[in-house]
Amino acid sequence: MTDPLTAVTPVAGANGPTGSIYDIGYRRYEGTRLGRGHAIRSLFFHSLRSSFGLGRGGRAKIAPIILGILALLPAVAIVAALTLFAQFGGGTEFSDQVPIRYDTYAGTISTIVVLFCAAQAPELFGRDQRFGVLALYFARALRRSDYALARIAGFIAALLILELVPQIILFLGRVLLTTDIPKAIGDDLESVAPVLAQSALAAGLFGGVSMVVSAFTPRRAYAVAGIIALFTIPNVVAGIVVGLGSSTIGTWLTLISPTSILDGTNAFLFDTRLDSDFFFVDLPGIAFVAAAGVGIVGSIAIAVRRFARIAT
Amino acid sequence: MASAAPDLARFPLLLRAAHIVAGRYACAVPLISIRNLTKRYGSSITALDGLSLDIEPGIVGLVGSNGAGKSTLLKILLGLIGATSGEATVLDLDVRTRGTDIRQRVGYMPEHDCLPPDATATDFVSHMALISGLPRTAARERTAEVLRHVGLYEERYRAIGGYSTGMKQRVKLAQALVHDPRLLLLDEPTNGLDPTGRDEMLELIHRIGVEFGIAIIVATHLLGEIERVGSHLVAIEGGRLLRSAPLGEFIEQTGTLAVEVDEGGAALAERLAADGLAVLVDGRAVLVDVADGRPYDLVRDAVADLGLPLVRIERRRHRLEDLFRDAPIDAPATPGLTSGSAAAGGPP
Repeated sequence: MTDPLTAVTPVAGANGPTGSIYDIGYRRYEGTRLGRGHAIRSLFFHSLRSSFGLGRGGRAKIAPIILGILALLPAVAIVAALTLFAQFGGGTEFSDQVPIRYDTYAGTISTIVVLFCAAQAPELFGRDQRFGVLALYFARALRRSDYALARIAGFIAALLILELVPQIILFLGRVLLTTDIPKAIGDDLESVAPVLAQSALAAGLFGGVSMVVSAFTPRRAYAVAGIIALFTIPNVVAGIVVGLGSSTIGTWLTLISPTSILDGTNAFLFDTRLDSDFFFVDLPGIAFVAAAGVGIVGSIAIAVRRFARIAT
Repeated sequence: MASAAPDLARFPLLLRAAHIVAGRYACAVPLISIRNLTKRYGSSITALDGLSLDIEPGIVGLVGSNGAGKSTLLKILLGLIGATSGEATVLDLDVRTRGTDIRQRVGYMPEHDCLPPDATATDFVSHMALISGLPRTAARERTAEVLRHVGLYEERYRAIGGYSTGMKQRVKLAQALVHDPRLLLLDEPTNGLDPTGRDEMLELIHRIGVEFGIAIIVATHLLGEIERVGSHLVAIEGGRLLRSAPLGEFIEQTGTLAVEVDEGGAALAERLAADGLAVLVDGRAVLVDVADGRPYDLVRDAVADLGLPLVRIERRRHRLEDLFRDAPIDAPATPGLTSGSAAAGGPP
C-alpha cells in the first residue's frame, strides 16, 4: 500500500522526470487499537507458524519439514500402493487389510510426533526465555496467562495439523480409488469422530507435556532430552516392572506414560483390542481417556503457573 | 485517500506542528504520580523506600547509580511487578488495577537483550505491533515507518542475530515506539554503545521527545547523557528521592568563583582571606565565595599586586556529579564553600 504522505508524488506532464519526496516526520497512529483478544490471537498464529519454522530463518524450517514429510509418508505410500493395486484389478477388499488405516495411523506416526515435539516445543517457550523476549510480551496488553495459553494452543494446533493432514490424504485416496464414491464416503464417515477425537487427544497430550517441559528448561538441549525421556522412559519402565511380576505398579506406570495412554484411548475410540504382547495391563478404555484429560489439563495448568511466577 | 494526498503533502510543516502540539498538551493531569512507593524483595533488600514524586511530560532523566532502584521503579510503573506499599498512577491510571491499560499506552525498552536472533527486524517489530493491538496492515505500515525513524533501512530484512549492538538498540527502541505510545520508558538505552552510537541514540531520543511529542523517561547511570537530552531530572539513590527539578536548576551557576594561578595560590588565598572573603584552595584553583560583585575587583587587585601568573577566572557551575558527591541534597545549603562546589540548595 502506498503511503500518501511519504510517497513520491509524480508531477503531471509528459516530460517532467522529477517528482517530490515529502517527509513529514513522525505521524501519530490514530487508527483502531484492538487490545487483548487481538494480541492473544496474534500470538496464537505466531506460535502456529513458528512451530513449522515459518517467519524464522531457513535452518529453522529443516526439522519441521523433514518430520512433516515423514508423518505424511505412510499415507502417501499406502495411497500409491492402492492406486497400483487398483490398476491391476485388485479390487477394494485389499483396503480393509492394509496395515495403515484410520485406527492405526496415530500410533504409526506417534514417534514422529514425539520427535516434532522435542524439536519444536523448546523453540516456542525456550527462545522467549533465553533471549529475554518475555519481558517485551509482558510489557504489553497481554496477561501472563494469556501468553502461556496462546503459545500452548498454537503448538497444539500445529500438532493437530501434523496428525490430521495425512489422514485427510488417506481419506481422499480411499474415496477416489473406489468406483462407488458415495458409498466409500459413507463407510468412512463413521471414522471421522474417532479420528478427530484421537488426534485431538494426541495433540493435546503431546503438546501440553512437551510445552510444560520446555517452559521449565530454557536451555534447548535439556528440553529436548527431557521431552524424549518423558515420552519413552515410563513406558519402558512399566514393561520391566510388569515383567518382574508387579502388575499393580505397572498399571500406574502405564497411566503416566503418554504414549501408552494414547494407545489406550485409540483402542477405546476405534473399539479395537490392545495388543496384549505390548500391553501389560487390563484397564477399562475410559481410564485412558481420563488419564489423557488429566494430563492435558494438568500440564497446561502447570505451564500457566510457571509463567505467572517467572521473573523477567 | 489518493485525492487527498497532494493537499496534505502541501503542508507538511503545518501537519508536523499540529502533531507536536497535540502530543505536548495531551495530558493535563501529571504524567506520573507516585506516593510513598516502597518495594522490598524479601525482608532484607529494599529497592524503593517511600518514594513520592510527580513527573510532567517532557524528557525526564531518571538518574541513579546501579542498584538505586531505577529499573524497579520502571517495572512498577508498567504494572509488571507490584509495589510492597504506596501507590502510583501513570496517565491517571492506577498501576495496581489498570496495568493492562497502561501497557497499551506505554512503550518499554528494557535494559537487557530482548531480541530473538533468528527473526528479521521487520518481522519482529511488526509482530510486536500486532501484540500491541494494531491491525495487520497498520502494523506493517507502522513497522516500516518506525524502523526508518530509528535509522534501520536495508538491514531490516536481515536476521537480528547478525546486527551490531547499535542496530540492536535501535530495534529495541523501534519495538517500544511501534504502537505510538503516549509515554516511553527507556532503561539504559545507550548500554554497550560506542561514543558515536551513544550520540546517535541520544539524538534519536531527543527527536522522539521534542519532535514526535512523546513523553520519555530515560533511566541511566550516566549523568552526562541526561545533561544533553533531558528537560527534567529525577535523581534517586538507595530507593529514595534525592531531588526532582528542571535540568536547568541542576546546572545553574553557583556562587563560586574559581581563580586559577600557575603559582602562588597560597599567597593569593591568604591575601583574599585578609580582605574578608571566604576562600578555599582546591589544587591550583583558589575558590572564592561570590555573594555580591565585590570579589571580582578584590581578586583582580590581589593578583596584580602579587604579580601572579593568572590562568583563568571562572564561575563554577553545578555538575550533575555533585548530586551524588554532596548527598544528601535536600539538606540546607552549607554556608561558605565546600570542596569543588557548593551544595545544590538553590540560588545563592
